[in-house]
Amino acid sequence: MYSGETTVLDAPAAVEPALPKFVLRRRRKSRSALGWLTIAFFLLVTVLPLLWVLRTALTPPAQIYSSPESLTPPTVTDDNFERVLGLMTTEEAVAASGTAAQLDFPSALKNSFIVVTLITVAMVSFSSMAAYAFARLSFPLRNAIFYLFVGALLVPPIVTLIPNFVLMRDLGWINTYAGIVAPHFLMTPFAVFFLRQFFLTLPSELEEAARLDGAGRIRTFASIIVPLSVGPIATLATLTFVTEWNDFLWPFIVGQGEGTRTLTVALGVFRSSTPQGAPDWGGLMGGSLLSAVPILIVFMFAARRMINALTYTGLK
Amino acid sequence: MIQLGNRRQQRLAFLAVFALIAIACGGSGTGETGVDSTAATTAAPTATTGGAATTGGTAATGEPVSLRYAMWDANQQPAYQQCADDYMAANPNVTIALEQIGWGDYWTGLQTSTIAGNAPDIFTNYIGQVPEFADKGLLVDLAPLIERDNVDLGIYRPGLVDLWVRDGVQWGLPKDWDTVAIVYNVDMLEAAGVTAEELNSATWNPTDGGTFEEIIARLTLDANGNNGLSPDFDPENVVQYGFIPQGNGNGIGNVDWSWLAVSNGFTFQPEPWSNTYNYDAPELVETLEWLRSLWNEKGYAPPYADVSSLGATALYLAGEGALVPDGSWMINGYVDAEDINSGFARLPEGPVGRRSATNSLADSIWSGSPNQEAAWEFVKYLASPACLDVVGSTGVVFPSIDSGTQLVLDLRAEQGVDISAFVDQSADPEGTFLNPIGDAFAEVSTIMTDFEDRIFGSTDDIQALLTEANSQVNEATGG
Amino acid sequence: MALVAHARVDGVGRRWLASWGTREAGAAWLFMLPALVGLFVFHILPLWRAVGYTFTDFDLFSDPTNVGLDNYSRLFSDDQFLRAIRLTATYVVINVPVQVGIALGLAAILDKVTASILVRAVLILPFLISNVVAGLVWLWILDPAIGIVNHFLDLVGVGSQAFLGSETQAIPTIAFINVWRHLGFSTLLLVAGIATIDRALYEAAKVDGASEWQQFRRVTVPMLRPVLLFVTVTSVVGSLQIFDTIAVTTEGGPGGATRVFMWYIYELAFKRFDFGYATTLAVALFVIAAIVSVLQFRVFGRDNRA
Repeated sequence: MYSGETTVLDAPAAVEPALPKFVLRRRRKSRSALGWLTIAFFLLVTVLPLLWVLRTALTPPAQIYSSPESLTPPTVTDDNFERVLGLMTTEEAVAASGTAAQLDFPSALKNSFIVVTLITVAMVSFSSMAAYAFARLSFPLRNAIFYLFVGALLVPPIVTLIPNFVLMRDLGWINTYAGIVAPHFLMTPFAVFFLRQFFLTLPSELEEAARLDGAGRIRTFASIIVPLSVGPIATLATLTFVTEWNDFLWPFIVGQGEGTRTLTVALGVFRSSTPQGAPDWGGLMGGSLLSAVPILIVFMFAARRMINALTYTGLK
Repeated sequence: MIQLGNRRQQRLAFLAVFALIAIACGGSGTGETGVDSTAATTAAPTATTGGAATTGGTAATGEPVSLRYAMWDANQQPAYQQCADDYMAANPNVTIALEQIGWGDYWTGLQTSTIAGNAPDIFTNYIGQVPEFADKGLLVDLAPLIERDNVDLGIYRPGLVDLWVRDGVQWGLPKDWDTVAIVYNVDMLEAAGVTAEELNSATWNPTDGGTFEEIIARLTLDANGNNGLSPDFDPENVVQYGFIPQGNGNGIGNVDWSWLAVSNGFTFQPEPWSNTYNYDAPELVETLEWLRSLWNEKGYAPPYADVSSLGATALYLAGEGALVPDGSWMINGYVDAEDINSGFARLPEGPVGRRSATNSLADSIWSGSPNQEAAWEFVKYLASPACLDVVGSTGVVFPSIDSGTQLVLDLRAEQGVDISAFVDQSADPEGTFLNPIGDAFAEVSTIMTDFEDRIFGSTDDIQALLTEANSQVNEATGG
Repeated sequence: MALVAHARVDGVGRRWLASWGTREAGAAWLFMLPALVGLFVFHILPLWRAVGYTFTDFDLFSDPTNVGLDNYSRLFSDDQFLRAIRLTATYVVINVPVQVGIALGLAAILDKVTASILVRAVLILPFLISNVVAGLVWLWILDPAIGIVNHFLDLVGVGSQAFLGSETQAIPTIAFINVWRHLGFSTLLLVAGIATIDRALYEAAKVDGASEWQQFRRVTVPMLRPVLLFVTVTSVVGSLQIFDTIAVTTEGGPGGATRVFMWYIYELAFKRFDFGYATTLAVALFVIAAIVSVLQFRVFGRDNRA
């Protein structure tokens, strides 16, 4: 799938016949070395900031200010993590950070998990049902309705944000899980679109056979379509999980209350909780790092699938 | 790419979107009714004055009540948590949950939650924000309750109760007071040969900065050890700043510049609550010109961006500079810092005298609270000697009653810290003034925050910027 | 492809209707019901209501009042709105070309040099992290006073920069943060695009004596046109809606230098409770995004030559 070195390096020498073979080889090597150098540069630019986060998170808050240029933590400590995870008493935390403002990480983690899991499970289920109808069932106005979904995909979220906020207010759902989850719970246009495109590629013979055996639509869907689509459905679920985990604006607006802050919101609120002093960088970096851990774990086990999924969604 | 199939399908997709807009636009005439129907439910939090009195005595009857109490200052949270714990111990039927949201998100969060109908029952209020809430009927008038329960308002320090009254309506019970003073690094002063007496008797004017500027200059050191007065002084290479400004004052300048400007004869408004502002007054222009020259020209103060990102306190505590103006609610942070030995000096005496802004925070009750009676009982407790003495003994703020304030002084005396600069400022009958207050101050503050950034972060003409700012401000307030 | 499939199902459908008839339609409606409710309640209805709000003065504390076209006329006399357009445009103009340009080069190199999944995994790492965290990370690294980047700039004699604290540097810095977060993703999209290019084209170019640069110019770029178009359109539309990074770093400052479109809407709606005008701006953003997208399709999508 990916072109390896073969395509370029084993190119016929005929291309540049004027040059002796060893010169060519050296030039190719140096080109490849230059390529690696470029790649290495971008890998460094990608990774160094993240290492700096780790370094900061491992440094006692006082030393973050007293020796900001030290490349390694002057003293290694797990205080910031303990503080963020709520393993310290308030007094200890205040002593360690100089501020009583603390990030309630465990509760934010819980909120993120609840919200994201609810959305992922419900949205993927409902969207795949709808996608199946669009791909496989015939009914009046099918295309017109489908275009409504595609149209919704093109409307910037900000347009519907304010009316949706008002709706949540009217329902009394501000600062509730229901409010955070609601807009994406039943479907996202993208999910419907994505799965429909996949379902269209499935051979219809199996379904027809199942139907001839007397299976109803629902059974056909559950026993034929879903098992055949585990890959794309898992892909969509993973993508949804990551996207919702990182979502900020909507949960920030409807779920800023103490009980419903998700991780991104809690970090944002924590950042602005020290108006007179400097941000508590130790706590912020510790919290940032920990907030990414669930995603990184998922990524570690499914790196290849996720990369393919992310690029697939763009290319399909 | 995302396949809308082919070009035709792409076009259809766009068409579909525009069709939707067309539908929506076409229906806009009738759309009004849709909007109206949503507004019908808006009325939730509009109960107003005196509502609490009729809500019934849940606290007294002993039914379980839970109250939510919001505040922004994390440093005060432990003290008030103690008050809440004490109160819950005495009233087992009441549960109180403290919620802390930083100043930056506090007011927006409160307003949003009042819209949502689930705001905290009680929240710490700042007088400048009262109009935003009072105009929308979001606050309970405490005056009838005070009268009914014969609450003794005589225990509070002079002037504090009146601050929370307008047109006979009482928006809160005062629980603390504050002033501004100059925090100094004892070791840096000593090294520069500046005595505390000199600093305490410093004078200031916007033309040459007076002895205050001279002290600042002596406390500024470049990499070669020259101070700011030396002809060899290199303003590009400063290792110790004489003065750390507080940065953007958001149109209030509480610790940032109002103590200088007002001591130069500046007044924010013709009178409190008027919707006219004087931000283009020459007294303010001169003051800000002097202030900005400290970092833009003289090298006596750190760059504005450093102050904005880290905050003056952090820069000071990192040993970057010798002097920083700050409020009495920040004393704890300076006293508790291990590496830096700090003292507190009077503000410099300006052309019209020494002037400090003073505030008093109070707890207000949300008019939409279902437990207003229980909330009132707790508010009374929060502003009572029982709680205020607990707060005073932590030293985190000056409580609104003398006994509590005395506890703070005792605590500091025990620690060998002299905080009389704050108290003397407040004791001086001419020594304090109030922050600007008026309707739509949030908008005023937004405008001024932008302009202060532009003033402090550039070399642009301050008179021109403030003139523009003031006309925008007065346009926004209709003043 | 999609249309072909439809046509087939539709053709067969007529026969089906006779035997399965309304049962199939009934099943379809059942399958679609939750999604349809979602579409109606959270997309179509709010769009309708949004347009309604634009004709009102609405603060959520009291009933909306009809103000006719006031919000629209205010739009054209509002300096902040014009400034927001300018700032957002600046952001897009920096962010998109830099990101797509670097991604294209990097993708071409990756394609030739390595198929390592590890390299790809590391490159895409920032994309998995939230905008909020990315913003916080760079806020810290670029801190004017104690950020590590300024420490090195001092060391090499460039001197400290205010970055997010500077009116002129704030927008480019936000753009840089966004490039950092999205570069890996864009690159991998393009790598996947390059992988679909017929290798015979390269062989033919080589036979013609084309250098690697010429191959890139004449084969890779033209063949990637659809993917490039997709990457560009999505990053432009995404960039128009930049919010998270600003919310955790500059909050519209300093001096309003990062009060981009979305932040201005947010301030109007949720700090000043001016919902009518805020919605008007949101609708304006929608219209602008649609126009810009159509223009991009027109300009980059039409020409199929190299």
